[in-house]
Amino acid sequence: MVVAWATLRRSWLVTRRAYPWSYFIGTLLLGVFTMGVAYLGLRAIAGDQVSAEFAGRAGTADYLGYIAVGATAYMFVVHGILWIGKALIQEQREGTMGALVVAPARRLPYLLGFAAFAFTAVALEVAVLLGFALLLGVRPTATGAVDAVLAVAALALAVFGMSVVLSNVMIVAGEAHITQNTVFQAMAVLSGFTFPRDYLPEALRWLGELIPITAAMDVIRGVFTAGTGLDPARLGVAALIGFGYAAAGLLTMPWAERRAMERSF
Amino acid sequence: MIETVHLRKEFGTKVAVHDLNLTVPLGRVTGLLGLNGAGKTTTIKILATLLRQTSGTVSVGGLDPVRQPRAVRRRINLIAGGERMVYARMTGRENLWYFGQLYDVPGRVLRPRVAELLDLVGLAEAADTRVERYSRGMAQRLSIARGLVNDPDYLLLDEPTLGLDAPIARDLRRVVAALAERGKGVLLTSHYLAEVEQLCAHVYVIGDGRHLAEGTPAELVAQSGCHRTVRVAVVELTPRVEAAARAFAPAVRIAPGGVVELSGPGDVAGALTSTIIEAGGALKGLEIAEPTLEDAILALNDRPAAVIA
Ligand SMILES: Nc1ncnc2c1ncn2[C@@H]1O[C@H](COP(=O)(O)OP(=O)(O)OP(=O)(O)O)[C@@H](O)[C@H]1O
Ligand SMILES: [Mg+2]
Repeated sequence: MVVAWATLRRSWLVTRRAYPWSYFIGTLLLGVFTMGVAYLGLRAIAGDQVSAEFAGRAGTADYLGYIAVGATAYMFVVHGILWIGKALIQEQREGTMGALVVAPARRLPYLLGFAAFAFTAVALEVAVLLGFALLLGVRPTATGAVDAVLAVAALALAVFGMSVVLSNVMIVAGEAHITQNTVFQAMAVLSGFTFPRDYLPEALRWLGELIPITAAMDVIRGVFTAGTGLDPARLGVAALIGFGYAAAGLLTMPWAERRAMERSF
Repeated sequence: MIETVHLRKEFGTKVAVHDLNLTVPLGRVTGLLGLNGAGKTTTIKILATLLRQTSGTVSVGGLDPVRQPRAVRRRINLIAGGERMVYARMTGRENLWYFGQLYDVPGRVLRPRVAELLDLVGLAEAADTRVERYSRGMAQRLSIARGLVNDPDYLLLDEPTLGLDAPIARDLRRVVAALAERGKGVLLTSHYLAEVEQLCAHVYVIGDGRHLAEGTPAELVAQSGCHRTVRVAVVELTPRVEAAARAFAPAVRIAPGGVVELSGPGDVAGALTSTIIEAGGALKGLEIAEPTLEDAILALNDRPAAVIA
């Protein structure tokens, strides 16, 4: 845990110096923009009318609330992955990966250090985004405090598992951009952020299940959107896939690091 | 000690290291020499647990890097010149602190050690400046300090003085020699052969991943078949002097300007100068050039391995 704490402190030092406020502002604008468009769309095009089909599939007729939860969760996921999943390839680009790998520290606490930092930073962003949603008249609700904590924890675990696996893909490929954008696009469509997954053809719905974020989003939707409460089955699936991804990623990481070390230090 | 037996590393169809047997004992500096692409960095990366060999065995102080990588990592460190290996956005002190955490060095040991290392590499003044504001040489010196932060038993140095100013490179050589004296095992690759000649008690020469020769620098020079060269400069090159010199040995070369040059085994300087003086020549200068390790490496690489073995 020494390593986790040290890595958290390192992230803080580096971030403070590398990304001034413009970074936070830039990322917030994305979420604000998404919600602004949804708001205008609803007012101008749909004339405040949400179809009964949408209400049935989403479990709510509150379209803005639906989008607010989706946009907030999407930012949580994307930024989490950018921080945690890109930590190792960032080392590779900085030329510090050899120094890291030649040290005996384990990768789990190292990545947990990044996760601790990431989720703290993202919590701030989420707070600001929800504040904006409140201004637009969205009234966030949850079916209970415990439900809310468990749902967010499931999403955080999914982000962590996903990040560990993506970390390996990135350092082996020596590339981050294509990988991250492909995954972000796939999630946006398949994982229930912007529209209910029921709209998807069955094959795509199953494809979505391969992403650990999907099951966690179902849990989030039950607690924060549909008001149906914590779905224990989906929570179990989310935990299982999240841990599975994390374990598989950590077990194959030494191999991925050796592949990366073939290219440079 | 570090020991490799029949070490082999393939990258696809490319064989970077062939059947290499290497020993790096504690308490001395061992050299690993070879031309570009000889397989030096690949070998060092395998010893450092960064790569895994295709076949053959490696032992680092009795530990197997494949089966016990973390135990090996605690006892070694690696410094690669030309690679920064430190964080640009942190200061020198913060870097050493962070790496100390990765090695789980206890705080009360780490604090004085960081100060000591910063002093050792001459960065005490720049300790609280961010690395992105360091010069190249400063960053490299910090990376040397990083390589010592866990007080490793074995130090793997891949061209550590690459791009360093002469005085700093000289300081680093002092540090390396002192570490070996304190009982550390050091493996050094370098393209500065004078450096290797000065530091290394034992040198391995590899070419195309194969073992070509080994020994002390002096033994390698002897094995390589390179000879010393005697150059006698005469005031005036008369036909009589020229004839006497040519008669002395058929291999004599006479350069324009009156320099008589002869390379060969044994000590011929005295006999050659006497011959020239007896023929009426007046000496302007005498130079005896010993063959260097550089001559030896080049000569060794021109030969097939079998001839040398
Ligand atoms: N990842 C890799 N994939 C394919 N070939 C490689 C790889 N790494 C090294 N090689 C090849 O293996 C051989 C040995 O390379 P290595 O870097 O070990 O040489 P070196 O002795 O350190 O050379 P230099 O003096 O230039 O640093 C070279 O022919 C190199 O092209
Ligand atoms: Mg090399």
